[in-house]
Amino acid sequence: MTAADPIIRLHRVTKYFGDFRALSEVSLDVKAGQKVVILGPSGSGKSTLLRTINRLESINAGTIHIDGRNLYGEGEDINRIRMEVGMVFQNFNLFRHKTVLENLTLAPIKLKKMKREQAETLAMALLDKVGMRDRAAHFPVQLSGGQQQRVAIARALAMEPKIMLFDEPTSALDPEMTSEVLAVMMRLASEGMTMVVVTHEMGFAREVADTVVFMDAGAIVEASSPHRFFTSPENPRTRNFLKQTLVCPTNDSSQPFD
Amino acid sequence: MSEPERTTIEIGDGAAIPRAEDRGLVSAWWLALIGAATLLVVLPWIKPDPYLTILRFVPDGVVITFKVTVLSISLAIFIGLVTGLGRISRNRFINLIASLYVEVVRGIPLLVQLFYIYYALGRLVRVPDLVAAVIAMAFCYGAYMGEVFRAGIQSIDYGQSEAAQSLGFNPRQTMTYVVLPQAWRTILPPVGNEFIALLKDTSLVSILAVSDILRRGREYASESFNYFETYTMIALIYLVITLILSKLISLMEYRLSYYDRR
Repeated sequence: MTAADPIIRLHRVTKYFGDFRALSEVSLDVKAGQKVVILGPSGSGKSTLLRTINRLESINAGTIHIDGRNLYGEGEDINRIRMEVGMVFQNFNLFRHKTVLENLTLAPIKLKKMKREQAETLAMALLDKVGMRDRAAHFPVQLSGGQQQRVAIARALAMEPKIMLFDEPTSALDPEMTSEVLAVMMRLASEGMTMVVVTHEMGFAREVADTVVFMDAGAIVEASSPHRFFTSPENPRTRNFLKQTLVCPTNDSSQPFD
Repeated sequence: MSEPERTTIEIGDGAAIPRAEDRGLVSAWWLALIGAATLLVVLPWIKPDPYLTILRFVPDGVVITFKVTVLSISLAIFIGLVTGLGRISRNRFINLIASLYVEVVRGIPLLVQLFYIYYALGRLVRVPDLVAAVIAMAFCYGAYMGEVFRAGIQSIDYGQSEAAQSLGFNPRQTMTYVVLPQAWRTILPPVGNEFIALLKDTSLVSILAVSDILRRGREYASESFNYFETYTMIALIYLVITLILSKLISLMEYRLSYYDRR
């Protein structure tokens, strides 16, 4: 494998839920260090696509390679591959029975056989990075949604993954908490992490993405640079989606509210 | 004609049901405990014959009752864990075996099972009476415990498992480090109830020549003909034990909820 090879390669991935075709022959390459943002209406298959990348969803046809290794290949240990692919969920999913610090150290200690002391040093450095150092001894229920999500990002980073997947990381948050989570993600992006992000945050897509992927009805409709995507989208479905999501009625000065 | 006097009975709506921390319920526990304990002390004091004699005769049985209870519940918890995991297994064969066990055991009265295992086991191997009794109790309670474990495991949000798997934990590690430690808290209250129920049900093993509280009492009563006094003392002993146990279990529940208290 050379440096130019993609770190994530999806080739004609097809996925059914019963009779419903959730993904139809989706192909996508992500290079190391690249930031891909996946947009699309709900039910378009974007979360499903993301979840196939660490095999939380199985696929019916096609192939997925992570760092050159076949996700469905014989003799491949899925748990080894998952250690290199961090994931952040919409509902945080922090381990409720563990403190913030323990949430970060559990996997390194149990899976990488890291010494507790070393794991805790690493965890504290990561908590520092996401601004949660002073909450290390707290339990998840004691934290706000935004704080929980920042801890969840740090927990994924504690395994020192090569790739980070974000599944609508700010969708379950109150608006005033989204920015603290997005700030952490932007910092991570600036440090060169390979990121695949499913989100509704157009601002984040515009600022951070190298590539914006638009999905509809289980297929990739358009994939281009954010500038091109937001200023001159090619596909009519994309244009329609952008028209619906970017219109902001309160900016319409013709409506005399006050 | 004057209006007849009416007694009105107030029917509480759901909101008016007294909660655990309300005074009435707490004092009921204290009242029962103090009442039973006082009788246990006062009766032998004012009427040593037969009460004190009974109180001297029965305690050997208390030890046996506890032995049977603790051994049975430990074995039942182990069987329950295996059964519960079997009931949620994707392996059809394992799932069938576990479900079959639960269905069969739940459909047969405990007393019949005790006789059956005691005599059936006795035909195959010679085991001490106490061991046979423990196996029979655990076999029966393991099935109920299996359902408790299954429900407890299924009560944990699937997102917890997904988070663990995404970090690289295999299914067994996910169960051990993430799901079971959380399920245990859901499981504990019903396990505590099963523990107390099992302690009371061990009185059934007295028919299997195991000298528990009840059997010791019957031995004494059949010699002295003091049936009333004997069974009074036995009831009081059981009551004091179960009251103390139920309090211990609710204290343990509180301690286990540490991570959900803000």
